[in-house]
Amino acid sequence: MADVFKKVEPAEYYRRHLTHDARPDGRQLLAFRDVVVSVGTIGTADGSALVRLGGGGTTVVCGVKAELASPRPDTPARGYVVPNVELPALCAATLRPGPPTALAQTLSQAMADLIENSGCVDAGALCVSPGRLVWALHVDAVCLAHNGNLADACAAAVVAALRDTTLPAITIDDETGRVRVDSGRERAPVAASAFPVAASFAKFDNDILFADPTAEEEALATATVTVATLEDGSLCLLHKAGGSAMTEKELQQCVDRAQVRGAELRHLVNKVAASKEC
Amino acid sequence: MEDSIGKVVIPGDILQNLDEKKGKIKVTVGPGLIRDGSHIAVTKSGILRHREPSVFWVDCHQKRYVPARGDNVIGIVTAKQGDVFKVDIGSSEPASLSFMAFEAATKRNRPNLNVGDCVNAKLLVANKDCEPELVCIDSYGRSSGLGILPNEGFLLQCSIGLVRQLLRNKFNVLTFLGKAIQYEVAIGMNGRIWLHCHTVRETIAISNAICRSELMSDEEVQIMSKKVVDSLQGFE
Amino acid sequence: MSCLKQSNLRGFACEQSCLTRSDGSATFNQGETTVLAAVYGPVEVKLSKEHVEKAAVDVIYKPKVGIPGCKEKATEQLIKSTCETVLLVALHPRTAVVIVLQEMQNTGSLLSCCINACCQALMDAGINMRCLVCAVTTTVDQEGHIILDPTSKQEEDGKAVLTFAFDSKTNGVIMTTTSGIYSSQEYQECLLSAQHASAKIFEFYRDSILKKLSRVS
Repeated sequence: MADVFKKVEPAEYYRRHLTHDARPDGRQLLAFRDVVVSVGTIGTADGSALVRLGGGGTTVVCGVKAELASPRPDTPARGYVVPNVELPALCAATLRPGPPTALAQTLSQAMADLIENSGCVDAGALCVSPGRLVWALHVDAVCLAHNGNLADACAAAVVAALRDTTLPAITIDDETGRVRVDSGRERAPVAASAFPVAASFAKFDNDILFADPTAEEEALATATVTVATLEDGSLCLLHKAGGSAMTEKELQQCVDRAQVRGAELRHLVNKVAASKEC
Repeated sequence: MEDSIGKVVIPGDILQNLDEKKGKIKVTVGPGLIRDGSHIAVTKSGILRHREPSVFWVDCHQKRYVPARGDNVIGIVTAKQGDVFKVDIGSSEPASLSFMAFEAATKRNRPNLNVGDCVNAKLLVANKDCEPELVCIDSYGRSSGLGILPNEGFLLQCSIGLVRQLLRNKFNVLTFLGKAIQYEVAIGMNGRIWLHCHTVRETIAISNAICRSELMSDEEVQIMSKKVVDSLQGFE
Repeated sequence: MSCLKQSNLRGFACEQSCLTRSDGSATFNQGETTVLAAVYGPVEVKLSKEHVEKAAVDVIYKPKVGIPGCKEKATEQLIKSTCETVLLVALHPRTAVVIVLQEMQNTGSLLSCCINACCQALMDAGINMRCLVCAVTTTVDQEGHIILDPTSKQEEDGKAVLTFAFDSKTNGVIMTTTSGIYSSQEYQECLLSAQHASAKIFEFYRDSILKKLSRVS
């Protein structure tokens, strides 16, 4: 019976649940799904991570490939990071094969903004030889299953993969100009201390706010907002594209919840990274 | 609401006190107004108009036509598809016009209508969810002015606001010019005006005069019309 | 053409119906930043973009130089969903509303100028709207002071740039996007000062429409 009700009147179905401060999947309004993070999942990549929300509901795997390249003319002493989010047709029934969708492009840009704003990669440290050679990090996130809140999953995967990334030491022969990987020296990590964590919220019926929406909830939501926080409580991304209007109080509520969430996830990723090293 | 009649309104404005003076009376809202719970909200920027007893709408200078049932429109035939003609009326999708919807048309006696011809037709179906449908007859089966427009005319495109102005205002540029110059005119609610004069000079002069009259007051239109007529007749 | 000068915002200017072939158009200036917006709609929709229950809003953003890339696509999406919120899209199902934005000159606060130009062009086209929208860009400088409607120099020197879009009905935040690092307190301060400035922009909207239509009323 409940199934039929859900199919026929999805909004009303949610409304009945939400008035009792609970969601159909048993979570409270501002509760996030459980997160599973594993780092170093792709052996051939320079750094990688896999993030799953809610027992495989949303799964994103991210690999970082480092490449030596000539620097961009306007920033000769800085390396660069090229994030790309891929949404293949296999991850959701609504997606079709073909060129990147608008959603994938928006997510790619959001990841680029997140990396750039937070300074989680020190672009200056990616420089090998100013004006000649820098590291280019290709950060490719592929969504394997899409059940809502891709922004959080992608951000977590991208940041965890970057924190897992190490680069080999490079020596340049001054006479011949040949580049050689110095395998004797230890690989150096690329990530800076900044650790951004994104948290998304959705608004339902113009007044109910809930965290970490599933795909169903995203379809019914009238607005979504993504907040990225850093350890010291400052914000590095606050993104709300259209949708019903929000008051400053509601936004503050999202920010506060995102801070708590950020601490939790940071603790988790650090624990995973530490256990890998043991 | 009473005091905002004739004033400029912009989207998001709320019109209150609708039934203050009239008691409980049915209010009819036209384009640019929408019911929002217990009051009326404005959805277009323009001037609020009112007609007795209780019809309200917003006059705005729109260029794109949105079909409305009962409108007389001028369309251009773009294709023949079996029993129907596809007619471009400037809306988001082409309208259909059955070949039987002409005066005295029968299965044998089809109207002589080709691709590229202009028709003066009435919208029988104009629903946002389905294709608009045109007819060239009234409910008695008579043409009553509708039908194919002769090929020698001139079709000009103007804003929908101007067309409404021409049809609403008795003392408009057409009547002023009509006192001195002979011409035929068909006005479509979709912003198209079909014009037929004796000479090309007159056609150009009249079409320019119509387009220029959009933002003029009645007196200005009269002065402008007089000038046009004078110059056509060689006094200047 | 109507102009407005405010002490903390740069001078605005707006001209509606500047293009003859589009259904609605507007140029919007904020200081030297200029954006030209053209609106077509409701027009025929591509089958792949058709929605049976609402109009599809399509935003095309053209930068001044170069071809649009990923960043421009993200901007398009942002403007698209902002416009979709204020348009009554349900009134024109199976159609499209196409908005073309051309960057003419960028001296800071480009995104807010784009959204303001969009709103003016949509009003000019006479497309049904729930309410109006206006956007304000703010920046937080190194000392933590808030600058409204910054120039490119101020944007570069500041530690964060925040853009907000507000609706005219509830004055709530429809769109917000940020770059740089800032504290949540700075965010709230920026939001409040932008909200305060938005009232002036809405006033300007009304005045410019009044000026345009006062001749025919």
